[in-house]
This record gives sequence, structure tokens and C-alpha cells, in this order.
Amino acid sequence: MSATAQQIDYNAMSDEDFRKQAREFFENEYPDELRFMPRRLSWEESKPWWLTLSKKGWLAPNWPVANGGMGLDPAKLIIYWEETERAGIGRMPDQGVTMVGPTLIRFGNDEQRAKYLPKILSGDNVWCQGYSEPNAGSDLASLRTEAVLEGDHYVINGSKIWTSMAHNATNIYVLVRTDKAVKQQRGISFLLVDMKTPGITLRTIKNIAGGEEFCQVFFDNVRTHKDNLVGKPNEGWTIAKGLLTYERLNIGSPRRPLQAFEQLDPLARELGLFNDQGFVDRYTQLKMDLNDLGSLYQRYVDKVRNGEALGPDISMLKVFAMDTYQRLAELLLEAGAEYGALADEITLGGKKIDLMTPFYTSRPGTIYGGSNEIQRNILSKYVLQLPN
Amino acid sequence: MSHADLSEHRMMLANSVADFARGVDLKRVRRLSESKAECDRKLWSQMAELGWLGVLVPEDYGGMGLKLADMAIVAQGLARVLLPEPLTAAAVLAARVISDGSNEALKSKLLEGLVSGDMLPALAWQEAAGTLDTGNVSAQATPFEGGFRVNGTKKFVIGASHADGYIVSADSARGMQLLWVPKNTAGATIGFDMLADGRQAGTLNLKDVTVSKDNVLNSGAAATNSVACALDHAAAIASAELTGIMGRSLEITLDYLKTRVQFGKAIGSFQALQHRAVDLYIQQELSGAVLNDVLTVLDEEPDAKTRSAAASRAKARCTDAALLITRQSIQMHGAIGFTEDCDVGLYVKRAMTLAAWLGNGTAHRRRYAKTEILEGAAV
Repeated sequence: MSATAQQIDYNAMSDEDFRKQAREFFENEYPDELRFMPRRLSWEESKPWWLTLSKKGWLAPNWPVANGGMGLDPAKLIIYWEETERAGIGRMPDQGVTMVGPTLIRFGNDEQRAKYLPKILSGDNVWCQGYSEPNAGSDLASLRTEAVLEGDHYVINGSKIWTSMAHNATNIYVLVRTDKAVKQQRGISFLLVDMKTPGITLRTIKNIAGGEEFCQVFFDNVRTHKDNLVGKPNEGWTIAKGLLTYERLNIGSPRRPLQAFEQLDPLARELGLFNDQGFVDRYTQLKMDLNDLGSLYQRYVDKVRNGEALGPDISMLKVFAMDTYQRLAELLLEAGAEYGALADEITLGGKKIDLMTPFYTSRPGTIYGGSNEIQRNILSKYVLQLPN
Repeated sequence: MSHADLSEHRMMLANSVADFARGVDLKRVRRLSESKAECDRKLWSQMAELGWLGVLVPEDYGGMGLKLADMAIVAQGLARVLLPEPLTAAAVLAARVISDGSNEALKSKLLEGLVSGDMLPALAWQEAAGTLDTGNVSAQATPFEGGFRVNGTKKFVIGASHADGYIVSADSARGMQLLWVPKNTAGATIGFDMLADGRQAGTLNLKDVTVSKDNVLNSGAAATNSVACALDHAAAIASAELTGIMGRSLEITLDYLKTRVQFGKAIGSFQALQHRAVDLYIQQELSGAVLNDVLTVLDEEPDAKTRSAAASRAKARCTDAALLITRQSIQMHGAIGFTEDCDVGLYVKRAMTLAAWLGNGTAHRRRYAKTEILEGAAV
């Protein structure tokens, strides 16, 4: 992290000046070939941009300045996000910045912050998330990977699954069971583990799109020092839950469906579909749904901007965003007719159009980060307060 | 007025509307098809005293000179209790056209009458069903020395049953005319079709009706544009009414889910119903978010294309959401929901009549497609 970056008080700048600075930086410095990618970036693709951000002190906009972040207040943070979206900046393996950093800043101790935060900023540590298990998906609190304290070390046994980008990662944060005698949620702890620790093995899992983003991570008597416990023993559930709301705001952004929409326009024009009232009706419905998603998203953005806390009602944003995204991806395939069955990008009227990727990208959106059914359970219980 | 002041004054407005609504009994709406008393002039005068009829009327004419976002608060709050008085028809649709009038004397007279509650005007713009085109008018105004003689038929006039007069659009050799035709003018006869919710849709027949120069409100492109603007504004406020209807209907239904016991437990504990209730709630919140954005756009007085696109967004979303929520309210109540005694039926019917008025979901999506999608797509 650079010394100058720490001295700039971005929050003292006017919104316009900050936006201008962010826009110029993202426009000039981000690699053009990685703009508006329909998928996440690998670590290899991300690394140069990671280091560029790090050097400028812009990698962690939401961390306090004292920890090497930009210390942006909510209003400036929103501008930062808006400008990354506008510039089409890809999603990096950013668990270190988005999850581990804020967790350690809020729940960790000074030693942990000193040990881990600089290595996230420098790109030496790449983190992945170990939450789900083969028998604990939507019912995450039933997880069974256990950690037993032996002397100064926790000894971990079990396995984690759907760990995105684990094969790129140097470190993993895991939820583990440390007390089997109490109610499920109360016996879970939050541990940090080096992926090179003996006893860890990996299996990559191919998804239906042919990609290998997922892994299963096996723990066979894996020892991690007790200093790597975040918070107190058995407080892991609270820590994990406290971090999810901002993630849901990000998932609810209309950016990704908008990108898919941009494939639909040239396709429809080439195939003459704007003369087909049936198509136009469906297209219009989706376009209006997308605009309405924008209104709903903006409502939450305004809350963040005003410093208001986001409550469980934000689950509705994820439900509607992902539902809209999927319907859009499905219309793209339907509109493509026979083209909609081709595995690879097509060329039509001299333009490359990617019909299949939005389908594969949108499909897991209603499953990860708490499936849409789980989101509906949350809304039913905490917002509508319907009985159990 | 600072933003903080504005919020406070809107809060006060919402509170006074809620107080008023607490005194409203649904009995009256339930009997509307027999009583045909959709406008209680005593109640109307009270609404006038509270300033609600003049929310959008400029202060120079006795109104409050406020924004559509303020009017939406009044309309939404009163729609929650299904008040049948023609608030949107008179205080938005007619008020807008009168406010845009070029005949100052007539404008003053009508606006002051509207604000005081003494004069109830109704806008008679529509002829064919399923159109939002305000320029395509068959009614004819033939000029003579003292004014116009008018012939034609106007349909689906809302708020006509107790109206003191009609603002009629008619085509002429000098372009479109907006003409004030007081009730009981020779040659003007009004008939009614009952709407699903017991209110009345008027059909105004005009046969050689004489309109003096004094009663010409507006002419030409200005007249056409003012009707188009009024339709968009009224569509947005009707959308606010729809949010009030869906909100109350969902509240009633959620209460029922929490208290109705079957199979030994509250039916709201069943996941099939929980998830359906959540989907209805999402549609309600989406409608609120869209309406809010649309009112902000409209209150900035944008160009006609932007204005119509915004109004269509609100009316399409709020209409579809209100129909979905109220119909599902019946389903989630079971058989009792289909009885006359159950309130949810009243909400379904009002949602249906407001849905059809000023363009339903399909009409607004088609209009949006025409200007926002197809014109840009170069097909």
C-alpha cells in the first residue's frame, strides 16, 4: 500500500470530484480485454489489476484507512461501486477483500489483522470460503466438519463443497463444529486455515458449463493454530451471518442482467424479431422488469448512502434480480431458435453474440448465497412474521 | 422548502389521511351497486376543507400548489379504505386540464369550484376502448359566431355520476377544442354502465350542443397536449391508489394466514403459502419502488416522451401487482374469500376497475414498447 493513498481523505472530496477520479482511473488503467466479462475472472487474469489497485491504495474501498483501505463512507462507496460497474470491471477472487478483511476488522484481533490484511492487499494471500458441506447446503447450520482443540491447535476433520476458486486459493476460512452438545447454530466457530497445511486435499468439480470453478476441500486431521480462531469459540454463526447483507446488495445489482440484455438487441434485430408482436411483448415485459429492478436496487443503494442498516428484507432484491436474470437468459435462447442450441458463441451479421453464457451464468444465481427458496423463508419469517 | 421540511410535511399529510381513513366504513362500498352514491357531497366538502382537492392546483387559484408525490400520499391512503369518491378523476385528471387552460376566466371559475368542493368536473376525453391516444377524436365541434356546436359520444367517463359538468374534447377545423359543458345543457345526455366495483362509467351523448366562446377552455395542440399530460399524471396517481389497495389486501391476507387454523396449525406455517405470500410482498415492494421513482421523474416536469414512459412504468407494474395480490388474497382465504361478506372481494373489484382505467398493463407495455423500444430499434 502506498503512503500517499493513506493521506488522501476521499470522503472530504465532493461526490463529483471523486466520481471523476474513479472514472478516469478505471477507464485508463483497467485492461480492455477483461471488460464486461460474462463470467468471474481467474486469479491469473485478475492479478495485474489486483496489484494496480493495491498500489494505488484502491483495492479495499470499504476497509478503514488504518488497515490499508480507502475508508470510504457509504455515499463514496456507492460511487466506487457504480463506477466499477460502469467500466465493466470483472469479479476477481475477492473473498479476501470482501469477506475476510471486514470479518477480521470487525471480529478479529490485532495480531490477526497484522498477519493477514497486508497479505491480502499484496496479493500474496488469495482466500476462498468454506461454508457448504455435502450434507449442509441450504441447511448450513447442520454442518458437521468438526474442529477439536488439542493443545494449541484445532484439529479439523470433514469436508467443504462448492468452494469457488479453491484451487486458486492460498487460504480458506471455514465454519466448523466445535460443540456438538448445544443447539446447532450455537456450536459453530470461524477458523482460518492455510491451504498448504498437511491433510488438505482438493477435488475440482466440473459444472454443466464445463468450467471448474468449484472444488470440494477435504480435511484429514488438519491442524491450525488456535490463534486462527476469529472471535470467541462457538460464535462463528453470528460472524458469518453479519457479513451477508452487503453481498446480497451486490448480487441484486441490475448490472449482469443488463449485460445479457445487450446480447438480445443485436440478435433480435438480425432475426427480424421486432416485427413479431409475441416477441416484442416478452421483450418489453423483461425490459420493464429490469428497469423496475433498477428502482428496487436504487432504494437499497440510497439506504446504504444514508448510512441506514440493511435488514432481512434485502432478500427480496436477490430473489427478483436472479429471477429476472434467468428469464432474460431463457428469452435469449428462445429468441435464437436453432442458434439457441449451439454450444459456442455465434456470429450473426458480422457481430459475435454469446447466447449460452448468460444461461450458464444466471442458472446458479438462484442457488448460491442462500437459494431463492431460503431467501423466501427468511422473508416469511423475519419480514412477514408468518408462524413456524 | 428544504428536503427535511418536505419529508415532515409529507409525514403530516400521510397522518391526516390515515386519520380520515380510520373513520371510513366499508359498508358503503359494499352497497354501492344499489345506492349508486359514489360521491357523498358532504364528505367531498370535508375533503375540500382538508385541502386534498387542491393539492395540485396552483396557490393563486386557492390550491396548495404541491407535487404529484403529495397527491399520491392522499390517493394511496384513501384507496386503502376503498373510498369511492372520484378524487383522481377530478383532482388530477380534470384539474390538470383545467390548470393548463388558456381561458383565464373559465379556468378561475372551475379551479376555485373544484378546490372548494362546490363544483365537480369530469373529463370526457375517451371514445374507443383500449387506447391512450388523445389526439384521435371523432366528436366534432362546428364553429359558429358565438362559439361551437358539438356532436359526438364520449365513453368511460369516470366520476360522471355526480359531476356538475364535463370537459369535452372535440375536433374542429381549428384543431382540437376542450369545451366546458355544464350538466343539463340542452342536447347533452348522460347514461351509465355500472363498473365491477359498483361505481359508474358515464357515456355522454352530445347532439347539437351549443358551447359559447366563454366555455372554450383550450384549443389546438395545447389542448391535445394537456389531455395527454393529464392522462399520464392520473395514471401515476391511479397507480398510487393501486398500491394502497394491494397493501391493505395483503395485510388482511397476512392476518388471516396467522390466525386461520387447519390441520392443527395456523395455515401461515405452511411453506407453500409462505412462499406465495412472499412473492406477493415482493410485487408490492417493487410497485412502491417504481412508483416512487416515477413520481420523482414526473415532478421534474420532463418532456412528453419521458413523462409517458414513466407513467407507463408505474401503471403497468402497479396494475399487474394489484391484480395478482388481490386475486391471490381470495385464493389464500379459501371459500370465505369468494363471499360477499369478506372484504377481499371489494379489493379485487376496485383493483379491476382501476386496472382497466387509463390503460391496463398490456396497453401501457405496448405504448412503452412503441416509444422506448421499437422507435430506437430501427426495424
